[in-house]
Amino acid sequence: MKQPLGADLIIPALALGFAAYFFISIADLAWEAKANGVVIGSILVLLIAAQVARIALQVAKRKADLDFSPLWAPRDALGKRVGMVLITVAFIATLDWLGLTLGLLLALLAALWIMGARGKTLAIVPFAVALAAYLLFVVLLHSDIPHGPIERLLS
Amino acid sequence: MTWEFLLEQFGVQFGLWWVILPAILLGIIVGILPGFSPQNTLIMLLPLTLAVPVEQAMAFMIALYCANHLAGGIPAILVRIPGSGGAAATTLDGYPMTQKGQAQQALVLCFTASVFGGLITTLATIALLPWLSQIGLYLRSVEMVVVMLFGLTLIAVIAGKDTLKALIAGFFGLLIGVIGTDHIYNTPRATFGFLELYDGVPLVPALIGLFAISEALVMIEEKMIVDEAGRERALSARWADTVEGLRMSLQKWWHIVWTAFVGLLIGITPGAGASIASFVAYQQSRLWSKTPELYGKGIPEGVIAPESANNGVTSGTLVPTLALGVPGGSTAAVMMIVLQYHGMVMGPRLFATNPGVAYGVFVSMAVAYIFMIFTILPLARYMSRVVLIPTTYLAPIIILVTIVAAFGERQYLFDMGLALVFGVIGYIAHKTNYHVTAILIGILLGPLFEQYLVRALRISQGDLTVLFSSTIGNVLWGLLVLSLVLPLWRNYAHRKNQTVA
Repeated sequence: MKQPLGADLIIPALALGFAAYFFISIADLAWEAKANGVVIGSILVLLIAAQVARIALQVAKRKADLDFSPLWAPRDALGKRVGMVLITVAFIATLDWLGLTLGLLLALLAALWIMGARGKTLAIVPFAVALAAYLLFVVLLHSDIPHGPIERLLS
Repeated sequence: MTWEFLLEQFGVQFGLWWVILPAILLGIIVGILPGFSPQNTLIMLLPLTLAVPVEQAMAFMIALYCANHLAGGIPAILVRIPGSGGAAATTLDGYPMTQKGQAQQALVLCFTASVFGGLITTLATIALLPWLSQIGLYLRSVEMVVVMLFGLTLIAVIAGKDTLKALIAGFFGLLIGVIGTDHIYNTPRATFGFLELYDGVPLVPALIGLFAISEALVMIEEKMIVDEAGRERALSARWADTVEGLRMSLQKWWHIVWTAFVGLLIGITPGAGASIASFVAYQQSRLWSKTPELYGKGIPEGVIAPESANNGVTSGTLVPTLALGVPGGSTAAVMMIVLQYHGMVMGPRLFATNPGVAYGVFVSMAVAYIFMIFTILPLARYMSRVVLIPTTYLAPIIILVTIVAAFGERQYLFDMGLALVFGVIGYIAHKTNYHVTAILIGILLGPLFEQYLVRALRISQGDLTVLFSSTIGNVLWGLLVLSLVLPLWRNYAHRKNQTVA
């Protein structure tokens, strides 16, 4: 059985891409501004090279392949996981209009539904969490978090 | 300072129980939530603290600050989400204890280490204040470079089986930590064009993303965060488990003491803080342990060391604030504002002109810790039941509530998006065994390391030998080398013994 190591290259790829961008962004700066980044970035590139070489060697010896499956496993949780990320993106994107309380209530409703919650708890949990968030962030701590229709109604 | 004066101060502070208890409660609530740092909470409550007499204001702020430091360990232990940077190291052994069904014991270890670590260092500060206030003057940029390196060596320590992966994660974090304007010319570096990144990568969204969101995304795979045995243990949680946690703490009393002093010494240094202290204490705890191989698998010392150091910092931070007028951290700076508003002049004269306020601050801290042990210890039994909540509910609540908390520190919507980005990076790191803690250590210590290094090199006009120019610095270099060599030598000796046997 070959070891699936494709996913092991994602963090090095992200790090390498970022290091390249970093080097470009500091090219014209004074030495004080770039010395630390150059040292760290150079070591990082060397470490990534070692990791790539290590994986390439494993693949060449046919002990591993570049399968990405560990990243998605188990498959039945994949839908929930992607759903959670999309709901979070939607929550952040609509927060300015919906405000904290309504936005959180709707996002939690959707998230719990995706996770498989049904019945009374599906209604009670989002309501309770949204209420607690309103009391803590808006009433108690006077946070500047965006206010929506509910906050305006209650203020 | 006489015994009569001290006793009188203790009497005054115990009389302020009606201020201290609500502050402890509020401190615990905001401490549990990643994103709500004590300084933010105190800034929001400034209208209150500026309006009341200075003794009451200080008692309130101190109690909230200490409770906040203690509470950060609670979510770190129960759901692997540190409430603050200072509790990030607690996840390394706290969460494995929870997974083994020892959540209640881990919480008791966290509470006792926090309270007694904080209490011992506070009493030591009261006794040694004139001398301690001088330490900050001897720890300059050269020495701080080495202190930062102590923290960074933890990247190698937590590596486990795959050092290369941990190093990649750590250096990736260090490079992320360099994002933002440089310390000399304020020129932006790798900010992707976002003004919000000019001050560097904010810690709270990184912490929330790497730990809370990524953990919740992984959590979805299972119905519960603990296995069947752990669930049964949590269901049958008894007071006896709290007593067992207390017994474990008593057995490790010396560990609490020395790691608390690590926190105190780091706390005295302006700019250094609980995050550095807890990582250094964890690293040192593992280094001197007879069973270093058990660290990361749920060992009590792995909870005690960061929590004790984290709370040892609290009194240390206030030493330069009061004795020198240099705030030891952002929370101390807020306290300084309140003291100055009330007409107090910081510096050595404060102890002569207003000893009641100057020493009262530390006495207030000691009293807050005493109150805390009685208020929070009984709650361990009930808090540990969080592990019984199915992930169907826990994961969405964690993701969405912590995303909201990411807004708290700087009040930018951008930070919520940033937390999600770090959440996805953290998830990939989790699934492919790149340590998220190593990434966080890099993000945390990277900017500080650069700040001290560049400052030292500027003073020496680029001459690297400045790093070996001070006696204290050289002693610290020696200890650092010892920290790195000792585990290698011990491994060698262990292997040799096994071969002989």
